[in-house]
Parts: sequence; structure tokens; C-alpha cells
Amino acid sequence: MTLTKRLLALLFVFALVAAACGGDDDDTGDTAAETTEAAAETTTTAAAGDAETTTTAAEAMDDFEGLVLDAGGCDYGGRVEKISALDEHTVEFDLCGPHPAFLAQIAFIVFGIQPAEYLEATGGAPIDNPIGTGPYTLQEWVRGDSVVFQRFDDYYGQVAPHQTAVLRWATESAGRLLELQSGVASGMTFPGPEDYATIEADANLSLLDKPEPNIFYMGFTDIFAPFDDVRVRQAISLAMDRQRIIDTFYPPGSEVASHFTPCSVEFGCEGESWPDQDVAAAQALLAEAGFPDGFSTSIFYRDVTRGYLPTPGNVAADIQAQLKETLNIDAEVVQMESAEFIQQCSSAGQCDGIHLLGWTGDYPHVTNFLDFHFGEGVTQFGNGHPEIHEALTEASQTADPAVAQPLYETANNAIRDLVPMIPIAHAGSAFVAGSNVNGAYAPPWGQVLFNYWDNGTDTMVFVQGNEPISLYCADESDGESLRACAQVVEGLYSYSQSGEVQPQLATECVPNEDLSLWTCSLRNDVVFHDGSTLDANDVVVSFTAGLDAASPLHTGNSGAFDYYSYLWNGLINAEG
Amino acid sequence: MSLRETTESLEELAAQSNLITTKPSSQWRLALRRFRQRKSGMIGLFIVSSLVVMAVFAPLIAPYHPNEVLIGKEEVGPRDPPCVHLFGCDEATPQHILGTDGNVRDEFSRVVFGSRVSLTLGFFTVTIALLIGSLLGALAGYTGGWFDNVIMRIMDVILGFPSLLLAIAIVAVLGPGLENALIAIAIVTIPAYARVMRAQVLSIKESDYVSASLALGAAPRQILWRRVVPNALTPLVVLATLGIATAILEAAGLSFLGLGAQPPTAEWGSMLASERNQLFTAPHLVFFPGLAIMITVLGFNLMGDGLRDALDPTLNR
Amino acid sequence: MLGFITRRTLLAIPVLIGIVIVVFLLVRAIPGDPCTAMLGERATEEACDRFNEANGLDEPIWTQLTIYMGNVVTFDLGESVRFSRPVNQLLIERLPLTIELALSALTIAVVVGVPLGIISARRHNTAVDTATMAFANVGVSMPVFWLGLMLAYLFAVVFKDTPFALPPSGRLTAGVFSTPYYEAWGWTLQEGFWAKYHEFVGNHYIFNAVITRDWTVLNDAVRHMILPAVALATIPLAIIARITRSSLLEVMGKDYIRTARAKGANEQRVVRRHALRNAMLPVVTIIGLQMGLLLGGAVLTETVFNLAGVGRALFDAITGRDYAVVQGFTVVVAAGYVVVNLLVDLSYGYLDPRIRVK
Repeated sequence: MTLTKRLLALLFVFALVAAACGGDDDDTGDTAAETTEAAAETTTTAAAGDAETTTTAAEAMDDFEGLVLDAGGCDYGGRVEKISALDEHTVEFDLCGPHPAFLAQIAFIVFGIQPAEYLEATGGAPIDNPIGTGPYTLQEWVRGDSVVFQRFDDYYGQVAPHQTAVLRWATESAGRLLELQSGVASGMTFPGPEDYATIEADANLSLLDKPEPNIFYMGFTDIFAPFDDVRVRQAISLAMDRQRIIDTFYPPGSEVASHFTPCSVEFGCEGESWPDQDVAAAQALLAEAGFPDGFSTSIFYRDVTRGYLPTPGNVAADIQAQLKETLNIDAEVVQMESAEFIQQCSSAGQCDGIHLLGWTGDYPHVTNFLDFHFGEGVTQFGNGHPEIHEALTEASQTADPAVAQPLYETANNAIRDLVPMIPIAHAGSAFVAGSNVNGAYAPPWGQVLFNYWDNGTDTMVFVQGNEPISLYCADESDGESLRACAQVVEGLYSYSQSGEVQPQLATECVPNEDLSLWTCSLRNDVVFHDGSTLDANDVVVSFTAGLDAASPLHTGNSGAFDYYSYLWNGLINAEG
Repeated sequence: MSLRETTESLEELAAQSNLITTKPSSQWRLALRRFRQRKSGMIGLFIVSSLVVMAVFAPLIAPYHPNEVLIGKEEVGPRDPPCVHLFGCDEATPQHILGTDGNVRDEFSRVVFGSRVSLTLGFFTVTIALLIGSLLGALAGYTGGWFDNVIMRIMDVILGFPSLLLAIAIVAVLGPGLENALIAIAIVTIPAYARVMRAQVLSIKESDYVSASLALGAAPRQILWRRVVPNALTPLVVLATLGIATAILEAAGLSFLGLGAQPPTAEWGSMLASERNQLFTAPHLVFFPGLAIMITVLGFNLMGDGLRDALDPTLNR
Repeated sequence: MLGFITRRTLLAIPVLIGIVIVVFLLVRAIPGDPCTAMLGERATEEACDRFNEANGLDEPIWTQLTIYMGNVVTFDLGESVRFSRPVNQLLIERLPLTIELALSALTIAVVVGVPLGIISARRHNTAVDTATMAFANVGVSMPVFWLGLMLAYLFAVVFKDTPFALPPSGRLTAGVFSTPYYEAWGWTLQEGFWAKYHEFVGNHYIFNAVITRDWTVLNDAVRHMILPAVALATIPLAIIARITRSSLLEVMGKDYIRTARAKGANEQRVVRRHALRNAMLPVVTIIGLQMGLLLGGAVLTETVFNLAGVGRALFDAITGRDYAVVQGFTVVVAAGYVVVNLLVDLSYGYLDPRIRVK
């Protein structure tokens, strides 16, 4: 079928669909005109490339012209076949297979919605000036110092009690705590383990337990010797005194990991628990593998504090000491710059030693833990193991929990036997708030929203660990950027304060029977910060910018769009 | 840090020193007497020799191996404050006179072993810089012409960078680590030695004595060994002593930024850096390594000043 | 005099060119492929080719160097990959902080160091002299990052809730904002060079607060500047005190001072009119040389006090392989250093006519 033919067919289908649904709203001509332009441009580019997709507009009965992101089938391997704006307030996600985690996934802030025209105007890179629908508008990002938000008075939800919210950062937890103690800030992320006692003793501060499902692990990339030998990996696993690491370096509420996924996540800890320390067995295994006297390797880590790893340097040094004590392994500790570390050790799988990394769940589903790390094609741990990823793929496509359960058991047991990594800790973590703040909370999933924090004054300051990388979160993956974005931009769904998935810009999304077709109805009372009204095309264009590698809007900050690629199993029109 | 100011004055000294007519041996004896009279110089010497003793006998002085993790071996936790039984610390708790660090290692032992790292580093850095620098300076001064010009312009360029920044850039190229930090600091300090040596050679070259010797058929190499080297020794020794201080300070700075010594090496700069987050909860882990750096640097600075005063009474009364 | 200035200025040019070359080569020598560093490991070969072509990286290294030199001359320093913004823009945001920090430190060092040296020389061999010199010796031996941390501990924790408490991090208290003078005065700026220029000038918070008479911001900015400036000032202060002392002592022993004294001039007058002016010559040189120390020390100070200046940004850029930033910042910092030293040379020539003929 030629491209032209397909275009015509699409147009026809759309005219039908749009006519069938029948828009009941007469939107302003202004927006519609601009949208048409956007649509036209996207179509041109798609036609110019060797694309399998087309985004196009269909002439509807009223002014609204619904846009479509069409992958042109499912052969590209991804999850999305088509995202269509059926009418002004209805979006349909046509997926390539059942996707039980759909709602949990779209509640993730990287799938936030920005105005279609605005994405056009910024060339798909609103990296320091996002426009959203959230409780705050962005006033200014003072580089190196703070991000300043202003209350959005037309917000449809709970309007912030203060005029200004300021997001600051200090790498050291001690520095953050000092800002709180001095009364400058009202809230902070992740206090250092050594500060828990101080905070609990201070009447001006309150500790907010953050039940965040996370994992800290020691990873191996098995394309490098000697980690290509499963006995070496097993030996190290048996040699580690994980309890000692938890006791010495982790805050209260942390526990030794029995599985990669925390038990609070459904299907997280199916299968057998991780084996306990057994130094004699470890030494025997290592000798059997041909290294009775140990060997030399490296421990890679980044000096970035996360909930799952409160004191990176100390933990790295202790693992180094343990390897030396138990197996006579001489490990050099290599501290890497954060972005490079993620690039080399995680994305590229090019670290020829042990890498210390962790994961904080993005959305409450076991696939977010297991598939992200052990799914097919993930190179972080080397070649990957069919024993693990076959079970995972099968499980992720079933809508039936009874079918999924044994598959996750199989996958977890395979991980335990093949040791692509050693799970160390599920860390307890916390936020701290001034005790004068009403409504302070620390959510297990998603980002904390400042409009619930009332400190009784006109300015609310919150301190986190690092500066955001950019404020266009479709193309970011670090918690610092996401926390800033979440104040401004919202997705179709979101997480409640206790972590449940709840409708946000959508009133609801209804699946078909096998969970492969989701129809979302949008709220009709939502305006963006630039005054334009939210409609279904904004949703389609926001997803197009992230998901369609051939779109002119697929620009972003680094252009990687990691989460779009991971969570939807690959980008549409991706090269190579 | 006072290296550059010293270089300038020593260049002048080097230019004048060919006038010294006394035999080198008696010159040194004189200097030694003058050095003994300087109180600050003697204090410096005392500090430096104590440090050398501490470094040599570190295993005897330190109660623990510097990298020994005490978890499960004693009733101590991470970042325990100093406990000295003599000062009323409960006898039941194990004695760690500077406390324990974040990885439950004995801080005192690490500070003691840290002296080995810093002294070795200071010594080797200066040796490398001294050898290369004075060789380049001597060649440049002796050859003159375009060669002299090229070498000295390169030296100017190196001096054109703030030294720590250049050292950081060099370590970035070579990769972090103690040895590379050593090389970087050596490169950065080469110009100081080159300039002093060159000034020395130039002044000797122009002296009547050399013209006369050359006229009498003496080999240039003989002149170099008999005249240039002994005379240049004075300023170079002073420069080297002060250079050790600078090198230790800069190495600590690089380690503080994570570019120098890598864990678990007990190096003062990196010990301090790894615990700086705990400044407010465990200040002793920041205080003692920093104090150790300061005392060491102070020792070499005082000794260098004393030497300078002793070797050239016209300088810096 | 004009000839002297020209000669000195011309001499600085090869050094500047050398600096650009050294920086260029050093940056090329940093391990790692710029393409994969910028586009990510998964970048395809085609994408890399396109990238290399776009950035001129497919040219031979000498052509690249020529292009780069041309860009530097036209103040085009390239674009930061990590921030997706021009290096010039980053300089506009970060350089003012470092300039303010370095100038504050230098001011402290001179204002305290010179009088200390004079007092010490005037009271030669007294307890005051010994104490000053002991202080100076300790001062030059102090690791700046350690001093910074100790000061932070002292003034933020020990003196907490006293009038002496000082903030240990940041440039302004959260919630306090510096309004650039052009906004305060209601100017509308056109895009372009002058807008950038005003943005740069306005980012000097202390200066900006003074000219806009915003005393709240001034107070806050100065309070934040005190600890880092003092930490950074200590070593230069000690050096300046020492040089002032020894220089003054040397001059006081000279014949013309004896003559002046013999004429019966009063001691105050002798020192002020005759000795000081001459003794200041080496001090001026030393002050110029301290700029290098200050700029290097700024990396450490900015790290300790969590300040977003060029020093810290440069360090982050090196570890993060943000080549354009490393190149641009190093060239600018080194050029600034060369220029300051040139100015010192010139003022030296002005103060001491003999230098001009040398």
C-alpha cells in the first residue's frame, strides 16, 4: 500500500469515527487553526521519511479536527498502535496487546500534557519553560539556585495556599537539613540516616515516612570476564553480608532485600527468597570457578544520594572491604559522574566490574521493576537470560492475575539462580517538614505536590538533592527534574497522596475486554497556564512528541526520551 | 602557594649568586649555623621530622590497619566521636582517640597512615618537577636563541593558568588517581624550577670566570658541574622545600574534589571529602584530617622559609 | 610609556594563543568520544557522522583548531550539551558570582593584609610581629576547603541563634530575589548584545543591589558572601601581610630613609611619604599573582559553599565531559588571569619608572 493510499484510508476512517462520535463542543477557531497547522507539518515530515506512521487530521462535523498518532501496525515492536483524538474530549489508545499496567503507567509524570500549539512553538523542546495545567505556573528557573513557581489561580483542583513556591537544592543532606533548621525551608527530601535522631528530637521538625518501593543492588554485566561465569556471581552473592550494610548505612525502616521487587508491589516477591550469607560456600564456588585467590575488578558508582542509597561512598567502600575480607577480591572503587555512570553502566552495559545502582518505582506495577531491568533486549546486565525475560514477556501480556502469578515466580527464581545482580536493600526513606506545615506528606509513588503544603506564609520553600536537568520531563528521568515538572504539568492520571492511581486530566479511561484498547474522557474545565483549553489533540501531540522519533517535535533536551522508549517498548520510527 | 612569589625572588638570587666566592662547603656550614638560629625554621624542621618518623613507623604507632573495618569486631558504630580513656571516656567502650569514620574504621590510624601518602606524594612531585624543570631551564639558558624562546614561552603558558585549574584539567585527561594527581601537580610546578635554573645558567654564562675558563679550554660540561649546579642548588633547595608544601596542599584539593586518592586509601583530602556531608553531625571527621594537612604544610613552609633566610641573608629579613 | 604598554600587551598575545591551543588539545585528549558523550552510547554511526560534520569534528585536528580559534576570537564559545544552552549564556549566569567572590576575597586580603604587614614591620621583633607572622604562616598552610567547612560549622551551627550566625550555603536566602537594575528601572531591552551585557552586569547581585538601593537584597547577599570570601581570602591575606612586612623592612633600611630621618622628619611622615610608596611595589605584583590562586581556590570554595559559579561549573563540566563548557570556561578564566597580570605589570611600570627601560 502506498503512503498516499494509506493517508486517504486514514482520512476516511477518521471522518467516520469523528462523525460517529459527534463533537458537542464548539471550540474557538483560534486554537483549531493552529492545530491544523501543526497537523499539516507533522504529516509532511512523516511522509518525507520512510515512516511507517502518519499523523493526520480528519474533517469532523464541527470545528474540531482530531489528530492521530499512528504507528502503522505493531511490527516495530512497540506497545502503541494508534493514539487518536476521537473528539474534543475523548482520546483512544489502541495498543498492540493487553496492557494491564496502562493506568499506572500513564499516571507517571513524564506523560504530562502540554498545549499542542506550545510544543509546536518551542519545536518540541520547552526545556526550561513548560506550560501545563498544574497548580503552579513556572515563574523562573534561576540556574544554579532555584526554580520559582507562582500559584495558578485558575487551577481546577486545590489552589495553593501560598503565592510562591520555591524549589531549591543542596547535594548534602546536612545542607538541606540546615535550611530547614534555620527556618528558611518548609520541606526537604531524604534526610541522612545519621540525622534521623536529630530530627525526631527537634520539636520544630517532623519526619514524614515515605514508603517508597525501591531496591539497591550490585549489578554485573556478564559480557565481561570473570562475571561471565555464573559461579563467580553466585560466589559474590553468597559472600556479601547484606545485613551489615543495612545496619550500618541505612535509616530505620530499611530491610535486606529478599527479592528484587519489594513485597509491597503485587507479584513482587513470588518465588524463593535470596540466599543468606555463606562465606565458606562462596569461597568454594569462587575456587571452582578458577579464582581461589580472588581477582581484581572495579566497583563503579556515582556520588548521588537516593532514597535507596543514602551514603554512596561509604557503601561502596564497605562492599570493597567485604569483597577483600571474604573472597580476597581486590576491587578498585571508581566514582563516576552521574550522567556518564547511567549511560555507561545502565544504558550501555559497558561497565566491566560491579556497578552499584538502585531503582525507585515509577508506578505501582511489577513490570516497572522487573521488565525494566530484566526484559528482553536490556543490556545493563549483559546478554540477558531467556529464562527470565521469556516469563516476563508472557506475564506482561496477560490480563489474568492467576496466569501472571506463576510466571513471576519463575522469573524471580531464575533471577535468584542466575544472579545478574545482587539485591541488597529495600531502603526506608523519608521527607522532613517543618512542624508548622499543614498537609505535608511524602507519597510512595509520584511526586510531592506543593499546593497541599500550607506553612501559613506566602512563600513555601522545598529543598531537594540536585538541580533539575531540564523542565521538559518527557525527556528526563531523574527525580529532581520530575519533582519540578509535577508542579506545573499533569498527566491523564496521577497518584494520590497514598499512592493510588487516580484520574487527573481524564475523568476516566475505560478498557475493552482484553485491556488492549483504552478510551479516555477528558475533563472539560481545564485550562493551560497560557489560557488555552485542554483538548484531545493536546494529548495526542504530547504523546507524539515523546513517542514518534520521526516527529519534528521529538526534540527534547538530550533527545533520548528514555521512559517513552522503555515503557512503551520502543519508539515509533526509531532508527536502527 | 607562596611558590610563585618565591620563584621571583629566587630568580634574582640566582642571578647574583655567581658572585659568591667562598667554597661551597664552608658556605653550607655558614648557612647551617644561620638556620639553627632561626626559631621558625627549627620548628618547621621539628614538625617535618616528626611527620617522617610518624610515616616510617606508622604500623607501630597506629593501633589498627587503616582499612580495617571494625563492624562486628568491636562495639563501635560509624562516626563514633573520639573516645580517650585518659580523658574520662568510659573504659568499657573501646578507645579510638579520634573516633571512627563512616565505614567504622579507626580515624587515628587512618590519619597516621595518611602521612605516608602525603609525604611520598610531596616528595615525588617535587623530585619530578625539579628534575624536568631544571633540565629544561639549564638547556634553555645554555642554548639560548629560539630554543630558549620556545621553552620559556611554553612555561609562560603553563603559568598563565590558575594552577589548580590546570591540574584538574590534566587529571581529567589522565583519569583520577593518586599517581595522575602527582603527575599533574608536577607539570604545573615545572616552570618555577625552569625559570630559576635558567636565570642561574644565564648569569654564570655571562661571568668573567666562565669566559676565562672557556678561553683556557675548559669543557662546557665541566663548567656546568663545577659552577652552575652548586650555585643553583641553593635556590632550588629552598624552592623544593616550599614546593612540597604546595604539592601536598594541591593534592589534598584534588582529592577533596574526588580526583586524587581513591578509596580506601587513607589520604587526608579524600578522608575529609568523604565525610564533609557529616560536618554537622560528626565534625571530628572533617576537623582532624584537615588539621593534619595544615600542620604538614606549615612544617614545610616554615622549614623552607628558614632555609631561604639561612642560605641568603640578604633576602627577607 | 606607550611603547612599554604596547610591548607588554604584545607579549601577552602569544601566551593567550598558547592557552587556547593547550586547552583545545587537553580537551581533545580527555578520554571518550565526543559523539557518544553527547548523543549517548546508542547513537548510530550515521547520527555520529552527522554530529561530527555539524561540529566540524570530521576535519583534521589542525583545521578544527583554526576554526576554534576563529570562534574564540568572535566570542562564539559553542553550546553546552548538558544544559542545551550557549556557553556564553552560562558565563553570563555563573561568572558574576565568581567575580564577586574573588573581588570580595581580594578586598578582604588587601584591606586586612596590608595594614597587618605594616604594623608588623613597624613593631619589628615585638610580640605583635611574632603573632602576626605566626598567623601568616598558619594562614598560607590552610587548605581552603577545610577552612571553609570549619567556618560553616562555626557560624552556622555553633553560633546558630546568635547575631553572629551566617548562612553556610547559597547566594541568597530562598524567597529573596535580586531584581536586575534594568527591570527595577523599567528599561525594556532589545534582544542582542546589550541585553546580554545588562543581564551579565545585573547578575552581580551585590553591585546590582547597591545601584538599585535594594538594601534587603544587599544585606542578604553580603551575609551569604562573608564566609566563602573569608575562606578564600585567608591564603592571599597571609601572603600579602608577609610581603608587605618584608618589603617595608627592606625599604626602611635604605639610605634615603635614613637621610629623611636624619633631616629630622617625623617617623609617621617618613613611613607614609617615603617608605610605603616604595614598599608597595612588590605588594602590587603579589596582589596580581593572587588572582590565579583565587580562581583556583574558587573551585574548592564554591564546592564547599554550594555556590553556582564558574569554578564549580567548570569542575562539573570536566567530570561530565561537557567539552564546550570546559573549553570556553577555561579559556575565559585563563584569559582573565593573563589580563589581570598584564594590568599588574603595567601598573608596576607606572609605579617604578626603572622597569620601563628594562
